[in-house]
Parts: sequence; structure tokens; C-alpha cells
Amino acid sequence: MKILGISAHYHDAAAALVIDGLPVAAVQEERFSRAKNDAAFPMAAIEWCLDQAGLEPEQLDAVVFYEQPALKFDRILTSSLRSFPHSWRSFPKAMKNMLGEKLWIRGIIASQLGVPGRKVLFSGHHMSHAAASFLTAPCGEAAILTADGVGEWATMTIGAGQKGKDHATSIKLIRELRFPHSLGLFYSAFTAFLGFAVNEGEYKVMGLAAYGVPNRVDDVYQVIQRTADGALELDLRYFDFHSRAETSFSKRFTDLFGPPRNPNEPIDLASQDGRRFVDIAASAQRVLEDILVDIAQALHRETGFPDLCLGGGVALNGVANARLLAESGFERVSVPPAPGDAGCALGAALFADRIHFGQPHRDVPDHPFWGPGIEPADLLRLAREDDIPVEEVDEDALLSDIADALWQGAIVGWMDGALEFGPRALGHRSLLAAPHDAALRDRLNRDIKYREEFRPFAPVVTLEHAHRFFELAPGAERLGRFMSGVFPVRREWRERLAAVTHVDGTARVQVLDPPMAPRLARLLDLYGQRSGIPVLLNTSFNLAGEPIVNTVAEGYSTFRRSGIDLMVAGSICVRKGGQRHEALSEAAE
Amino acid sequence: MASLLRPLYWTIWASPRRRAQKLLQFAEVEAEGGRDLVRASELTVDPVLRRLFLAHARDEERHARMFRSRGLALGVGMPPRAGNTMFDWISPGERGLDDLRIKDEHLGSLLAFIHLSESAAARDFAEYSSVLGHDPLTRSLFDHIGRDEEHHMRYSLAQLRRVASGGSRALLWKARLRRLWKAYLRLASAIAGIMSTVLLTIQYFVLLPPFALLAKFAMRREQPGWTVLPPALDSKSGREF
Ligand SMILES: [Fe+2]
Ligand SMILES: [Fe+2]
Ligand SMILES: [Fe+2]
Repeated sequence: MKILGISAHYHDAAAALVIDGLPVAAVQEERFSRAKNDAAFPMAAIEWCLDQAGLEPEQLDAVVFYEQPALKFDRILTSSLRSFPHSWRSFPKAMKNMLGEKLWIRGIIASQLGVPGRKVLFSGHHMSHAAASFLTAPCGEAAILTADGVGEWATMTIGAGQKGKDHATSIKLIRELRFPHSLGLFYSAFTAFLGFAVNEGEYKVMGLAAYGVPNRVDDVYQVIQRTADGALELDLRYFDFHSRAETSFSKRFTDLFGPPRNPNEPIDLASQDGRRFVDIAASAQRVLEDILVDIAQALHRETGFPDLCLGGGVALNGVANARLLAESGFERVSVPPAPGDAGCALGAALFADRIHFGQPHRDVPDHPFWGPGIEPADLLRLAREDDIPVEEVDEDALLSDIADALWQGAIVGWMDGALEFGPRALGHRSLLAAPHDAALRDRLNRDIKYREEFRPFAPVVTLEHAHRFFELAPGAERLGRFMSGVFPVRREWRERLAAVTHVDGTARVQVLDPPMAPRLARLLDLYGQRSGIPVLLNTSFNLAGEPIVNTVAEGYSTFRRSGIDLMVAGSICVRKGGQRHEALSEAAE
Repeated sequence: MASLLRPLYWTIWASPRRRAQKLLQFAEVEAEGGRDLVRASELTVDPVLRRLFLAHARDEERHARMFRSRGLALGVGMPPRAGNTMFDWISPGERGLDDLRIKDEHLGSLLAFIHLSESAAARDFAEYSSVLGHDPLTRSLFDHIGRDEEHHMRYSLAQLRRVASGGSRALLWKARLRRLWKAYLRLASAIAGIMSTVLLTIQYFVLLPPFALLAKFAMRREQPGWTVLPPALDSKSGREF
């Protein structure tokens, strides 16, 4: 069967195509539109997916949308009614927003794609999260936990899945927690309070937490409480979900925690306010982890499965994931490369295939590379036109050259094969650098990523060497596969891995299984031969505020605009010589 | 027109707080314009234009940084105020490429657009500079950036003539009309937005109260915590609600 999955209209739109039970293409719209977290209907992504398989829309058996718009509308309307008359300001906006386009998805899909309306199906939001995680994970049966801000009504679900070899595949969602009680919204309120963009800055809170002491945990438990049945409840007096996202916390919240951070002012750890912010971040992070661990422990007792599959935006919290692995009782914890709403496009398509249509289970290839490939010849042409030194050498010479350059402190833009699906660069669109030099990290922050220094960079290391440098609990390889867990760097290596070790001695390590990205694995070996440490710093290939690069032309313009020293696309390599940036007057010549 | 607006400009730029905020907004717009130009450079096959767009993009990125640091310096200690005010569209900054879909534009019309929006920016920045006598630092910032905008204006015109040879005047007129049309659309959708907000707000207060009462009643009966889901949930799959 040929099934297209779509997620759109909230955050990070995406499309995914499943044929005969296996993904053939999946990509976020932002990678084409070049607008970060583009939520618009993902027409470009859809077109590319169909192109990739040589399909016309009418050949599709079904198009599945990742959530149920009418149910979502019900939630928005009901919550407006419940907070009458305080919701009077938000009501017109919410209605226009929903009634404009979001409610009529079936019609939009039918008209945009030219498929009959009866072929358009809907999956539940959290069912899509669950399917994206469980149906791609290498396990036959598993407990499932999904958590995000909010889908239709659900904000968290727990369930169990079984893949059918000789029976039907099933995903049973056993219980759900409903809006407005939400672990994701809880964390987002703190994200906003700490001066970061909601739905984007959550990982900054996690990074910041490492600097603080969780000494406000009791205060945090004022705003979020556990219920007798083991779920959680927000004290709504502390929140305000009816105004703008930037102020989802109420006056009572700021009475408790003090004034929010001005986003324009840096966090100064030496100041009292700076300490206050990092301690609040640490406390909110601790509470999030404690609640997740407790819920997962109960789920483990209930299901008895050795595997836990996590989904939803909360599963991007690598510190919490590592604690779940260590403390929940599960032997393995799986997080897909795209646990957020983008991943729901793939989740919805797989859900339709396995469960709605009851197709037999097939193991999904265990990698994130479902996007467009690259044209290395473009790099050759661009560099020649711009008089930039360019080399095309054989593979061995190329990789040793790059390893040499890295060892000498170069920052390398690395493009290889198909684009990653999901927010992390896992070896096909990466910026690579030596991991030992804190000065190099600062240069990356300053000249390329233009970002706050409290956000650590991640290391990549092959499976073979991972345990030498990192304290990996049993099962950590699974979480590390897609950079989903934060683990301690071994004490004796911290200094020599200074650029990738966070202030609390941890790192969000990618544990690379060589067959997943063989060229990167070889590069790691070659770099190890030079430095004695086969570890590299691996961060996504993009500048601040931009999506990860997709095409060679985008990689090249990023290379030209920033402090990247060397760029590689397949077998082509360009270097920045002594060129400086051309001024307008010179560029015309 | 410009001289009529002068007193207004003066009021807008008089308050340091508003000045700080405007400069921060301008910074964002410049950065966005820079990204548009980067996109144009990635998509063009003409190597000269690629280099020019890239250099131009770097200028805009620099402008963004300059506006931002001046805005932050002016706004030290003032908590940021969110939301837009009416003043925002009376005193626009550079408008990038005016939500142009760069991917679908012809080189000629793209250049015509760049030329026009750079001219508008140069003109506006000169106006703002003229009412900023009381703040020499901000004034010199506008002067400096304004000179860059004039550069952008000139190179885009020269390139337009090269690319479109004889057709450049027609392209400029077409771009002018399209800019007007877009301005009209912005205005029209703003008015439509206000009207629908008013209508929906009236409905909110007239139609909703009884339902609100019911909803609040229902809410009180709701138990906190987990909701147990019916075992056959996944068979409900595929439906819209
Ligand atoms: Fe979600
Ligand atoms: Fe500018
Ligand atoms: Fe400009």
C-alpha cells in the first residue's frame, strides 16, 4: 500500500511516505521553505516525497493527517468556554486561526493533492506519536509513553504495543492525561519565564539547569501537583494559557518565582538574578524528571515489558531520558530521531498501514536518513565559479585530509547522503570539529552558531569506543543512537573532551553504529589515529535561526557566510584560503 | 507626504523606550531581509548575482547586529514590551523582499523589487535621521546604514539593467504596482481582521454565556488525573473526530 502521512499547522510541518510497510521518504517542510519550524501545509515536502517514489497523488491508497482537527477544535472551544469571560481576548484569535484553514483539513488535502476525500484519514495526535516511536523501534512489544504540550485533548498517554508476526499489530493507549494538565506546557511556561521562545527554547532550559541547584523544587511543586492516581495536575492559578505563549505564566507565578528574565539580557551567573534563573531551571528540570520516572516506573510494573518507547516533544529532553533508562526499570528506552510533531507524519502513515489497514509488520530500517540526497558536483561548480580552491580526490586521501584538518583545529561542514528526518544532525548534515579544545567551542559559538555559551555541543563516537570515554549505562547505546540521552563523560577524559563536556560533566553523545553512517565512522577512526581520541564534536550544519542545510548550495552559502574552514560534499572538498569577505563593490567583478 | 509625517516621526523617535524597541524590531527585519537574500543567492545560477546577493546579505546581517546593539544599549533596564503598536506601520524599517516567494521570482523582477525596497529604506532612514538630532549615536547609525542602502539601490539597478537590458523600466513599473497591491492587501486584510475580531467578540458575549455556564458545570464534575481509555480505541482509527 502507498500511504502519505502529513503533520502540519502547529509546529514543524512534515510529510512522510510509506510504501508496502516501509518508509521511503520523510522530510520537514522547513528544509525546503528555509523558514525554521515552518508550520505551513507542507506542500514542498509532499511533492518531494511523491517525486522520490515516482508517484502521482492519485496512486496513493491513503493520505493520513496526524491528528483529529475537529477534536482539537472542540478542545479550543471548550477551554474558551470554561474560562469565560477571561478568554474574550483570545477567543477571536483562536476561532480565526481554527476556522481559517485548520478545521477543513480533509478538503484542503483533497483539493491540494487531487485525491478523493474518502482517501483522507486521521490518526490521533498521541497515537501518531506512539506509532512514530513504537513502530520504528527494534522491539516486538513495548510499553509506550508519549508526552508533549497538547495534541487534541491529550497531553500525555501511556500504553502498550505489540507487533504482529502472526497476529495483528496493535497499539493500545491505556490512559491519557488531558489539557490543560500537561507536562509539556508546564515546562514551556518555565521556558517562557526564563526568556526563551516556547516550542524552541526548551532545550536551553535543560542546558541551563546544569548550572543551577534544584533548590526551588518545593516551589515548583506548588504549580504542578501529583494526583492520587499517579498522574499530575497543574494549579491553573499559576498559568495563563489564554494569552500569548510568551506569557503562559500568571502573576501568581511571578509572585512565587520573581520577575521573568528579559530575553534581551544575557544570564550573568555572578549576579543574584542569574543564580535565581539557573536554580529555577534546575528545579523545573528536576521535577519534570521525577514525575516522568515515577510514571514510567508504574508503567513498567503494569506492563512488565523490558522496552519503553517514548514519543512527543518531551522525549527531546535527553537528561530526563537518561534518568528514565537508569531508574524506571526498563532495560531499553527508545526515542525516534523525530519524536516531536514532525515525526507524527511518519507515525500517522505507519499507524494507517499497520493498524487501520492491518498490514503485516515489517522492521523499519533503523536510521534517520529519509530526506533528499546531495549533488556533490554542484559544489565543484559553485567553487570554481567563485575561484575557491576545490579538490576532488579519492576517498582515502579525502578522509585523511579532513582528519588532518580537524586535528589542526578546522571546523568542517560535512554533507553526506540523505538528509536527517528530525531536529538532530546525525552525520549527514553536520559541522564537525575537534572535541578537546574549549577555545574551538567558543569560536563555534561566536562565529557560526551565534549562540549562548551555556548550550553544550554534542560529541559523536563509534559504538566500539563509546564506553572508553563515556559512562554508558546498559541500554544507553539505544538512546545514544539518535543523540537522545545525556550521559557522564568519564572523569579522566573531561579535560581532553572539553569542547563537548557540559559544566556538570555530561554530554549528549551520539553513539554511532558504523553501518548507519560508514563514512563518518571511518573519519572518526582516522581522526582517532591522529589524536588518540576517536571522538568528534558534531553539531547541526546551519547558522543560528536557520534550518539545517538540505542542498549543497545551502551548505555552500553557509560555508561562505560563516567561520567554517572547510566544506565537504560527498567526494568534493572546498577550503577557505586567505579569502576575506567580498564587499559589494568587489563582488560585481 | 514625508514632510507631513515629520512631526509624527518626531513623536515616535522621541521616547528612548520606543526608540529602543523600534531599533530591535528593525534588527529583526534586517536579519530577515538578509535571509531572503541568502536564499536568492542559493537559488540563482548567475555567479555575479550570487556573489552580490551574498555580499548584500552580509550587509543586512551587519545592519541587524548594529540595530540590535544600539537598541539594547538604549533599552538597558527596560523590560521589553510585547505586541505591536500602531506606530509600527507608520514608521517601517527595511522590508526585506516584502514576503516575495523568491523561489518563484524571475531574476529581473527580483532585482526590481530589491531596488525599490532599498530605495524606500534609504528614504525612510534619511527621514528618521533628520528627526534624531537629540540622539547623535542613533542618528549616525541611520546615516551609516542609509549609505549602505543607497549602495544596494545602485547595484540592484545596475544589475537589473544588465539582466533585463531594454525591459528594466517595465519591470520597475510592474514591481511598483505589485508593491502597491501588496500594501493594499496588507491594509485590506488588517481591516478584515479588525472587523472579524469585532464580530467574534460580540458573538462571544452574546452567544456564549449559556454554553459557558454548561461548560463550567461539566468541568466541575471532571476528575483530575488519568482518563482511562476504552479498550477498542484503535479500531476508531481514521476518523476525523
Ligand atoms: Fe505533539
Ligand atoms: Fe539594511
Ligand atoms: Fe538594504
